[in-house]
Amino acid sequence: MDRRTFIQGTAALTVSAGLPYKAFAQARAFAPKPGAWRTVDLVTRIEIDDPKGKMQAWVPLPSVNEADWFKSGETRWTGNAATVTRVRDPKYGAEMLHVIWQDDDISPVIEVTSRIQTRDRAIDLTKPDTSAALSDAERKLNLTGTDLIPVDGIVKQTADKIVADAKAGTDIEKARAIYEWVVENTARTAATRGCGIGDVAAMLKSGNLGGKCADLNALYVGLARAAGLPARDVYGLRVLPSQFGYKSLGAGSSNVTKAQHCRAEVYLTGFGWVPVDPADVRKVMLEEPPANLPITDPKVVAARKTLFGAWEGNWVAYNTAHDIALPGSKHPKLGFLMYPQAERASLLLDCLDPDRFRYTITAKEATAT
Amino acid sequence: MFLFALASGAAAGGAPTAPATFQSWNSSAPSSFTLDDLHGQPRDLQAFKGKVVLLHFFATWCEPCVAEIASLQRLTSIMRDQPLAVVAIDVAEIDLKVRAFFEKNPADFAVLLDRDRAIARSWKISALPSTVILDPGLSPRLFVEGDLDWSRPDIITTLKTLYPAGADAGGK
Repeated sequence: MDRRTFIQGTAALTVSAGLPYKAFAQARAFAPKPGAWRTVDLVTRIEIDDPKGKMQAWVPLPSVNEADWFKSGETRWTGNAATVTRVRDPKYGAEMLHVIWQDDDISPVIEVTSRIQTRDRAIDLTKPDTSAALSDAERKLNLTGTDLIPVDGIVKQTADKIVADAKAGTDIEKARAIYEWVVENTARTAATRGCGIGDVAAMLKSGNLGGKCADLNALYVGLARAAGLPARDVYGLRVLPSQFGYKSLGAGSSNVTKAQHCRAEVYLTGFGWVPVDPADVRKVMLEEPPANLPITDPKVVAARKTLFGAWEGNWVAYNTAHDIALPGSKHPKLGFLMYPQAERASLLLDCLDPDRFRYTITAKEATAT
Repeated sequence: MFLFALASGAAAGGAPTAPATFQSWNSSAPSSFTLDDLHGQPRDLQAFKGKVVLLHFFATWCEPCVAEIASLQRLTSIMRDQPLAVVAIDVAEIDLKVRAFFEKNPADFAVLLDRDRAIARSWKISALPSTVILDPGLSPRLFVEGDLDWSRPDIITTLKTLYPAGADAGGK
C-alpha cells in the first residue's frame, strides 16, 4: 500500500473518556473468570527525531486470536509514510506494520490504532475435557528451541531435575512443578532493562536467575519444552488497571508506553493452552505495595495460586514469536517483537529508550457505536 | 546456544563475590574474524597480530562491564607504546546504543560490534563480561569470566609474560 500523503482513518469510535482509569482497585479475591469482553483501542505513535537518510519503522500489531479470551481487531493508521505494509511472520503469524518514509523526510510520523477485545481467563484444572488437540505442526513448533531458549544442555538437565525432584508423573504435575520452581528460584530485578533478554541458558549457567518477564517466563517456557510440554511466550502489553486490587499487575494510566509484559502458556492435553505467569508472582513480591513482600504474604500466595491456570484480561497479546526478522532491515533477528522498532539513517534506534526514540503507546477502553 | 548473562563473579548490586581469575584456555578457537567498528569500518583480528590481545566481550547493559571498560582504558593508558591491544567486542546491542555509551566513556581501544552474537558464539563465551587473552600469534592463552581491574600491577605482570620475545617488558 503506497501512502505518501497523510492518511486519515474513518472508523467510528466512541471512547468512554476517563472511565477505565477511575479507581478500580477494590480488594477482592484474585480470581479471574471468563466474563464480559472488554474492548481496547491501542494507539502507537512514532515520530523520528533528527530525521536523516533512510527511515523505517516496524509496529507490532496484536495478532493473537483465541476464541475464549482474545480477539485481534482492525488496525488503522495515519501518517506521512511513503509506504505502509502489513507484514506477517510466516513461522509464528506475528504481524507488524512496516513503515517506510521517503529518504530525508523532514517530519516522519505514523500513528497506528489497533482495536482488540480481551477477557479474563481461567482453566479448571480439575476437570479435563475434550479441548482441541494440538496439531503436529503446532506441537513441534512449541517444543523446539529458539535462538535464546535452547531445550537441550543445561536447560534439559535442569528440567529433568525439577521433574524428578517433584516426582512429577503427569503433564500437569510437570507443568506445575516447573512453575513452582521458577517462582521459588528466580527474582525480579528492577534494574533489568525493558523486560529482559530471555537468554535462558545463560541464566541457568550463571546461576543469576534475576530478570523480568521476558527472562522469567522464557525460563518457564524453555524448561517446559525441555520437559516435553509444548509451551510458548505471549508477548504483549498491560493496558488496563487490575480489577483485583493488584497495582503491580495493571496499567497505571492510559499511557502504556513502558507497560510491556510477556506471559506464558503451556499446553496440557485435556485442558488446552493453560495460562501461566510465574514472572508476575515475582513482580507482586517486588512491587506490590508496600513492596518487597515475602513469598508468604497473602497477596503473593494468592497470585501464585491464581497465575497457574488463570490470568486477568487487562492485557493485549501481540504475538508468540521468537527470532523475528525486521523486513527491509540489515539488523539481525530480534529475540522477540514486543516494542516498536525504527531505523534512522539505516541504524536501529533503541526501543528501550522512548525518550530518545520518540514513541508513545496509549490505551483506551472503548465501546463501539 | 549463546549465554548472555552476567558472569557469576560479576553480580550487579548484591553481595561481593569472589574476584574473577585467570584460567588457561583449553579449547579451540577461530583463527580470525572481521567485525565492524563503531564507525562501520570492518576490522580484522589479524591486524592485531604481533601484540598481546585482550579480546574483551561485554555489553553496555551489564553493570560490571561498565566499570571494567574504565579499567581497560586505564590499562591502555598505562601500556601505551607496549605490544598490547585491547579489542572490546560488544555483544548483541544496537549500534546507536554502543556509540552513545562510548561518547560518554571515550576509549582509546578498538570497539567492535558483534551484532548477531556470532563471534561470541564461535569463541564459546558463556557470560558477560569475559576476556580471552591472545598471545602475539593470536593463539588464545588465558581466559577470564567476570570482571577484573586490568590496571592492577599483578595483572599487568601476567600480561607481560605473553609479550613477544625481545619486547620491552619494563612498562611505565
